[in-house]
Amino acid sequence: MESLTKIWNWMPALLKASGVTLELTVASVLTALVLGIFLALGKISKNKPIKWLSSAYIFFFRGTPLLLQLFFIYYSIPMMVPALTIQSRFVSAWIAFSLNVAAYLAEIIRAAIQSVDKGQLEASKSLGLTYAQSMRLVIIPQAYRRMIPPICNEFVMVLKDTSLVAIIAVTDLTFQARIIASNKASTLVYIPVMIIYLILTGIFTTVFNRLEKKFSVYE
Amino acid sequence: MSIIRTEHLSKSFGSLQVLKDINLSVEQGEVIVIIGPSGAGKSTFLRSLNELETITGGKIFIDEQLVEERKHGHVVFTLPPKEKAAYLLEMGMVFQRFNLFPHKTAAENVMLAPINVKNVTKEEARARAEALLTKVGLEDKFDEYPSKLSGGQQQRVAIARALAMEPKIMLFDEPTSALDPELVGDVLKVMQELAEDGMTMLVVSHEMGFAKGVADRVLFMCDGIIAEEGSPDEIFSNPQNPRTKQFLNVIL
Ligand SMILES: Nc1ncnc2c1ncn2[C@@H]1O[C@H](COP(=O)(O)OP(=O)(O)OP(=O)(O)O)[C@@H](O)[C@H]1O
Ligand SMILES: [Mg+2]
Repeated sequence: MESLTKIWNWMPALLKASGVTLELTVASVLTALVLGIFLALGKISKNKPIKWLSSAYIFFFRGTPLLLQLFFIYYSIPMMVPALTIQSRFVSAWIAFSLNVAAYLAEIIRAAIQSVDKGQLEASKSLGLTYAQSMRLVIIPQAYRRMIPPICNEFVMVLKDTSLVAIIAVTDLTFQARIIASNKASTLVYIPVMIIYLILTGIFTTVFNRLEKKFSVYE
Repeated sequence: MSIIRTEHLSKSFGSLQVLKDINLSVEQGEVIVIIGPSGAGKSTFLRSLNELETITGGKIFIDEQLVEERKHGHVVFTLPPKEKAAYLLEMGMVFQRFNLFPHKTAAENVMLAPINVKNVTKEEARARAEALLTKVGLEDKFDEYPSKLSGGQQQRVAIARALAMEPKIMLFDEPTSALDPELVGDVLKVMQELAEDGMTMLVVSHEMGFAKGVADRVLFMCDGIIAEEGSPDEIFSNPQNPRTKQFLNVIL
């Protein structure tokens, strides 16, 4: 009973921190999606410099630890170029996550685009559509459904990875839990926190299952 | 006046020379059927005409306008992209495996290019799509997705889709060879009606009935050249080239 009251009293702080976690996850993945589409198109482009740049970007962000990328954006860049100092720690985290996740999403999107039958592009071309129109109207809409499960997976990974931002003192759910645990000397707090993570994961999974069904109507 | 003309057209994939020296002139209203063994380069030839493949050498004229000339793979002449695109629009193509857009209904498949390439209004495109689908015998399938249609129905949607761009010539690459035998007839009937309406057609097909009944000329293609050509009667009843004879013996 006493424990329940304790947990109840922590809830406002925990819910506020959940909001930060959720905002950071959604904002990062959405930004990364936009960036990822361009990187994916860049990587399959016939234009050599564009192809090389996109590949190098993806190689770099997948090949170095996210934690280092976060440090680099938060500490190193402002030191090297003071004009680029970012006041908000949340914004720094958002940028780092967006840049990183974009590299992973780019590979997901590229694979989905390349899994669409070559005949689709040929049919579009024979009808007079430009390459850009073919991508936008024919190829990418078919790639959507194949991207949904891996993107959902990425969402869940990012949701959990955001706990890294504690390192630059952004008060996300994990950081808040550690504050409570040390201040109140109670490790009980980890139970509601894990439950909140599970609920958030559950929400993402449900939403994405719905989306997948919606995009499957024509099959 | 020729709709399409090629001079010394050649095409290689790396060191493999698939088309050696193709000289063909397709006149307005003509129906030409191309036959030949597998690997002869029939598909490659059609695909070279509408730039799904880039040619290695020779010239392609559309409406007597030179659109592309190459030598040893290098461009000698090419129309500016916008102008060339306009000429390429005079060709419609139907593929062996239909290549319908699976995420669009039959009507949407037909409407897509007119709306996005020719800036036709949605209403106009829809009306035209319904008319074309009715013409190919699919008046009750406007809003079906391709996955709900039989192969023969899908191929007829594909024909309507190509016709919606109002091409001057239709290229068919083995349009019935992926179909169950009982579905072939419906597609051939649509193609025959199209020919009767005066459409210029270049058809790769081994449907002898269609060739005999509809074609003005039959070309026998082999080893990257047109080895023999003539009226259906000449080719089927009295072939001159031993390769033609041998090929006809195998398929008849
Ligand atoms: N993209 C490609 N890359 C390399 N070789 C190719 C390519 N496309 C076709 N070929 C080769 O070119 C030759 C001619 O192929 P093509 O498809 O034009 O023949 P076809 O006459 O249409 O035969 P079929 O009756 O089997 O359809 C074949 O040897 C084929 O392997
Ligand atoms: Mg072929």
